[in-house]
Amino acid sequence: MSGRTIKIAVLAVTTALIAAACTGSSTNENGGNGTGGNPVSDTFTYSVNSEVMIGWDPSTDYSNEVIAMQNMYESLTRYNSDTQEVEPLLATKWTSNADGTEWTFTLRDGVTFHTGRPMDSTAVKEAIQRTIDMGQAASYIWGAVKSIETPDPLTVVFKLSYPSPIDLVASGDYSSYIFDTQAAGSQDLGKWFAEGHDAGTGPYTVDQFAPGQEVELRLKSYPGYWGGWDGAHYQNLVFRVTPEATTAAQLLRAGEVTMVQRMTPQLWSSFANQDGFTTTTAPSWQTLFALMNTASGPLANKNVRLAVANGVDYQGILSALHGAGDPLSGVVPPGLWGHSDDLPNYTYDPEKAKSLLQGEGYGPGGQPLQLELTYLNGDADEELVATLMKSDLADLNIQLDVRGLQWQAQWSQGKSSDPSKRQDIFIFYWWPDYPDPVSWFYNLFRTEAKPFFNLSYFSNPSLDTEIDQTASLAATDRAAAAQNYHDMQVTLLQDGVAIPVYTQVYQRAMLSSVSGFQDNPAYPSVVFAYDLTPEA
Amino acid sequence: MSRYILRRTALAVLVVAGVVVLTFVIARVVPGDPASTWAGPHASAAQIEQARHDLGLDRPLVLQIGSYFVGIVSGDWGVSLRTHRPVLDDLGHVAPASIELVVAALLIALAVGVPLGLVSARWRGRAPDWVVRVIAIFGVSMPSFWLALILQLVFFQRLHLLPVAGQYDPNLDYTHPLTQYTHMPVIDSLITGNWVVLRSALAHLVLPALVIAAYPLGVVTRMVRAAVLDTVGEDHVRMVRALGFPERSVFGRFALRLAWNPVLAVVALVFAYSLANAFLVEAIFNWPGLGSYAASAIAALDTPSIVGVTLFVAVVYVVSNLVVDFAQAAIDPRIRLR
Repeated sequence: MSGRTIKIAVLAVTTALIAAACTGSSTNENGGNGTGGNPVSDTFTYSVNSEVMIGWDPSTDYSNEVIAMQNMYESLTRYNSDTQEVEPLLATKWTSNADGTEWTFTLRDGVTFHTGRPMDSTAVKEAIQRTIDMGQAASYIWGAVKSIETPDPLTVVFKLSYPSPIDLVASGDYSSYIFDTQAAGSQDLGKWFAEGHDAGTGPYTVDQFAPGQEVELRLKSYPGYWGGWDGAHYQNLVFRVTPEATTAAQLLRAGEVTMVQRMTPQLWSSFANQDGFTTTTAPSWQTLFALMNTASGPLANKNVRLAVANGVDYQGILSALHGAGDPLSGVVPPGLWGHSDDLPNYTYDPEKAKSLLQGEGYGPGGQPLQLELTYLNGDADEELVATLMKSDLADLNIQLDVRGLQWQAQWSQGKSSDPSKRQDIFIFYWWPDYPDPVSWFYNLFRTEAKPFFNLSYFSNPSLDTEIDQTASLAATDRAAAAQNYHDMQVTLLQDGVAIPVYTQVYQRAMLSSVSGFQDNPAYPSVVFAYDLTPEA
Repeated sequence: MSRYILRRTALAVLVVAGVVVLTFVIARVVPGDPASTWAGPHASAAQIEQARHDLGLDRPLVLQIGSYFVGIVSGDWGVSLRTHRPVLDDLGHVAPASIELVVAALLIALAVGVPLGLVSARWRGRAPDWVVRVIAIFGVSMPSFWLALILQLVFFQRLHLLPVAGQYDPNLDYTHPLTQYTHMPVIDSLITGNWVVLRSALAHLVLPALVIAAYPLGVVTRMVRAAVLDTVGEDHVRMVRALGFPERSVFGRFALRLAWNPVLAVVALVFAYSLANAFLVEAIFNWPGLGSYAASAIAALDTPSIVGVTLFVAVVYVVSNLVVDFAQAAIDPRIRLR
């Protein structure tokens, strides 16, 4: 080819490309006029920040895939954060014996897996047993289960080695799925799942899976769903990966996606009160804590801890978050049983903080206090909290050395076997694996010989006993357990063990054609598409 | 010639090996624990230890690098900590998207840059030359993320002419499903005659391709200008002039023909550069390519993926360098002797 021919070819191709592009856009880009019409209205397109299907195995999944899995799989029960009660799902009713060590579930009749197999007590037993045996993800939630019995096809009996609230456990967002363990036939089930198959009972089943692609996963309705498909329902659920918040906002504006998982507060508020769009907010169970080193360093002194807790301007932090955080009363977030609003929460009281510090020889005019705080590098919200704490505490003659680290580095330092290497304040999020406040108490505040998540290094033997007792009490008398959690939160706050900084708020923006959406913090960022009604 | 090829290839393999060792060591030295990334957020200590053993992270670093090299050759590039899939499979999905984007960008750069360079050379020192040189500098120095946002704002939000992000309209998967062969929608839709998807794919390609084209466009323009000016002074071109050919032919036919070789060499090198330069642009346009993949991998400290992407880009760099070297050596025997 001569130079001239090459030139002509290149020009021709490029001209064709641009010409085709411009004509193409007018025919297939429905919307783009800001009113948000979705061309396929029975399809719900969920714009998510990062890849969805990290794994496919309902026994081992412990990540982002929950937002898809909860639409393909179901558990025996589901937690309702409005009523703070557990509701029937695959089980229609359940009872426990007086000491909470034996639970009998009655299963829903006429339910089939996507494989066609009927969902009966044997199937339930096999599924849960596989999850327990594999011992991954949040399978520890079934730790109390000694044996599972199946007296008849619609009855499952859990025999426990100690009291445990199995109705709550069964509603967990991970490790509680019921699935067909025979789905793969003679093949290896784990491998079969990993190829992008599902074997649940949920309203949707896999249509297309394109790993690494922008439209990563498409689910379609399962015609045999026990709830039926009468009335208006979304028939398809599509997951579109859009890491850039500005791009996601543009796609929503054009009506190319139905809802955006997460934007910046500024972008989100640009959709508020706009025709064609609906915005919602809801407090999550993602709670941010500043854990104080109660074992070594200056914060081993309770008065110094309380001074720090009273020296932070919480309102200032919340307003800097522009609505992405809500105040957190105690350690249990709203929507979870055991939450209480009447707790001696910390408030910004610099005078009290000063007098507490001066009593210990620190504070303005006293000896300067040096503290080290670690947070997750790259988390803008944690960084903001760290920065504001630093400037608030500087007024109290406290020099806060703020260090942003990768999670593993931050955690390794926190777990360090040498107490002198540990930080003074550890900032991080905590959330539960099933709807039970015990998650916070057992993991964060119960004595640990070797630190794992109790990075306050807090040890109070009588609190330990109370945590263990309350965990059992939750199985038999939830009201009494809630009262115990209330009292334990008072103890923790009075001891200055940790600062509950705030709880994250979900800010969602969606097309106004969606009706019935509500966040359920027990299932973070999950859209239960079947429960929504599409409008023409 | 064959000795030359052998020597250059051996050197290239050495360079790639060096890159792998460096990336591997750096990825292991930075604080962080791949095993705990793999096991999940609330994993127990026992689960993390199990993951460490399963991933082979409890073995000495030298052994890990050694088995990684064996893996590279046998097609096992490790398993991504984030997606839990083989890195090579992941790359097989994301690399074509980047290649499609960069090839489109280079075509635009050539189609616009070559004529601009010619204009610039022909009217050297006069107004058209100045305008073109400003455009070229603009192209080379413009931050790509800024250009990307401006183009989105103008062509999507204001004019509603072009789509904002993605490879093609995903709703078409229901009405006009596309069979994937190459994972490049433009090529796949051409092969299968899926014109609706082709139109959509081209529309989605324009803005990101334009942004990535900015840099090579500047380079090509300046290269063509310099090369043409070089050749117009040579005897045979003066001969063409003396024979009375019009000025348009002197530049467009005779001078340009000689200028092609250095320009194509530059394009080959810019190809590898643009692949890496596309990282930011891909993120903004939600283009499911290497850049988006690398960005997520880095955020998650997903070392096998990070090393995999680095290895891939290094190979592309080295191979395109080799191709240029060999092509030039074939043309010009003096190079072989160096």
